[in-house]
Amino acid sequence: MPLANILARKVRTAISVLAVGVGVALFLVLVGLTSMLHEIADRTTNVDAHIMVMPASGPALLLGGGLPADKTEARLRAIPGVREAIPVLCWSLNMAGRDQNAFGIRPEDWKFFAGPDRLVEGRPLAGAFEMLIDTRLQQAGGFRLGQEIERLNHTFTIVGIAREGVAGRVFMPIDTLNECLQQDTRRATFFYVKADGPAAVEPVREAVTNLKLSAFTLDEYYARLANLLGDMHLVIGAVVIVAGFVCFLVILLTVYTMVVERTREIGILKGIGASRLQIFALILAEAGLILAGGIITGFVLTLAGRALILHLQPLWTIDIAAVRFVHAAVLAAVGTLLGALHPALRAARQDPVESLRYE
Amino acid sequence: MGAMQPILVTRGLTRVYRSDGVATPALRGVDLAIAPGEFVAVMGPSGCGKSTLLYLMGLLDTPTEGTVIVAGTDTKGLADGQRTRLRRKHIGYVFQRFNLLPTLSAEENVALALKLRRRPVGGAAREMLAAVGLEDKRRRRPGALSVGEQQRVAIARALVADPTVLLADEPTGNLDSEASDRVMDLVGRLHRERGQTIVLITHNEQVARRSDRLVRMRDGQLLAD
Repeated sequence: MPLANILARKVRTAISVLAVGVGVALFLVLVGLTSMLHEIADRTTNVDAHIMVMPASGPALLLGGGLPADKTEARLRAIPGVREAIPVLCWSLNMAGRDQNAFGIRPEDWKFFAGPDRLVEGRPLAGAFEMLIDTRLQQAGGFRLGQEIERLNHTFTIVGIAREGVAGRVFMPIDTLNECLQQDTRRATFFYVKADGPAAVEPVREAVTNLKLSAFTLDEYYARLANLLGDMHLVIGAVVIVAGFVCFLVILLTVYTMVVERTREIGILKGIGASRLQIFALILAEAGLILAGGIITGFVLTLAGRALILHLQPLWTIDIAAVRFVHAAVLAAVGTLLGALHPALRAARQDPVESLRYE
Repeated sequence: MGAMQPILVTRGLTRVYRSDGVATPALRGVDLAIAPGEFVAVMGPSGCGKSTLLYLMGLLDTPTEGTVIVAGTDTKGLADGQRTRLRRKHIGYVFQRFNLLPTLSAEENVALALKLRRRPVGGAAREMLAAVGLEDKRRRRPGALSVGEQQRVAIARALVADPTVLLADEPTGNLDSEASDRVMDLVGRLHRERGQTIVLITHNEQVARRSDRLVRMRDGQLLAD
């Protein structure tokens, strides 16, 4: 009977189902988008090193040559406990329609960014005007091994493709990048520093700080990036509350209208033996069916929305853990239940005689 | 009435409706007793309190004064849940405007009366529809039935749970004469074959003459019996 009742008003039911579904999808997609920052943080700190060293101003903008590479490397290597000092020059390149942080590195430093099994095709950097990209960028831009592309007024050849998850999506020789940027001396944006072991990390960090440089362990840097998510969570929370409230209002109006329209029918049901509890349960069951349809619709909209966003922005990351679908369903259920509660109670308490006389 | 105990009794039944501070008496001290197997017709002009009497006897409303005794149980002071259980067990109700649920088929409408009582449906709905001559139309929705057929489905719904008393509020009020005759033939047959106790409200003399006993009402009170 609940199913027959909600199908009797197809358009209204469809709108209600869609409202719940949009709320569910909004929550899931927004939560999924937060994984993008995690992905960036993961890549940046997925290096065989312990510390990131930056100019004293800190990680405001990881671009450009803020540090004199050779001089800084010498000072870092002079610190007891430092095993390696790896310079990185970052610059923005437009690849696959989006600006990417290109990592300029010394070819011999590739081993700190990726092990031998990381390369899917080709080889590490060796020559001057060579480029190495990751699989995500390859798919997004349709790039292929051996392809020549024009950037920074030079022609680069793609010599290697690495499985995604390395620090950057684009690697090129640091000296080449310095030349393209017309730097007089070799510059670096930051350094990765590898200590002798975990016990040496803190003393090295302190010593680097004494050199008037900023030093963050990789965990600290990850946490700094993750803190940016704190603000995003507030925004997501606000959006979720608004979406949940809209769902609640739509369900409240829909179920209330259903109850008023069926005032006489409720009187009949009581006349033929329905108890208050049965009337209450009937109204909630109808709301429950709308909820079920809304959750399924929301999941479908989520998958479709995710596919569309990734089609338009292939380098974005939208990871939605399975448990989030459960969270979304629970939130939708709470909103629906709260919205249906008042009309269901009203229906259960209706006076049968007044209901029978209702026109 | 003989030596049998009445199946339905009203004692000093009074109902006063209050609205905006105005009190409107619909029933004034009605005493009525219905014996098992009786077919009683209640007649009277519009507004005399017939429907109010039926609502009170069917436990759909609560009297202002007096009481209704159903199968020996005094309903005065009973909680809503207790009244519902009593109504489910003893009362079958036929409303003036058939009031079938439009989204259900004829068979589903009849079966609903059993489902609300948490009784297994089995073939009971179909059998009851056969008893009212509508087995071949059991899958049709009310919109696909004539008004007379809808009323027969409503009667089937009222009787499928085997109530002690059938209360019918103007069951032929919205029917033409032919449909009205068919419905009353059915009611009469059920009364004869099943010994069904029936209390029927009507303003139609011809319908009233089919009963065993005629009770007249005026201004909320019983007149001649």
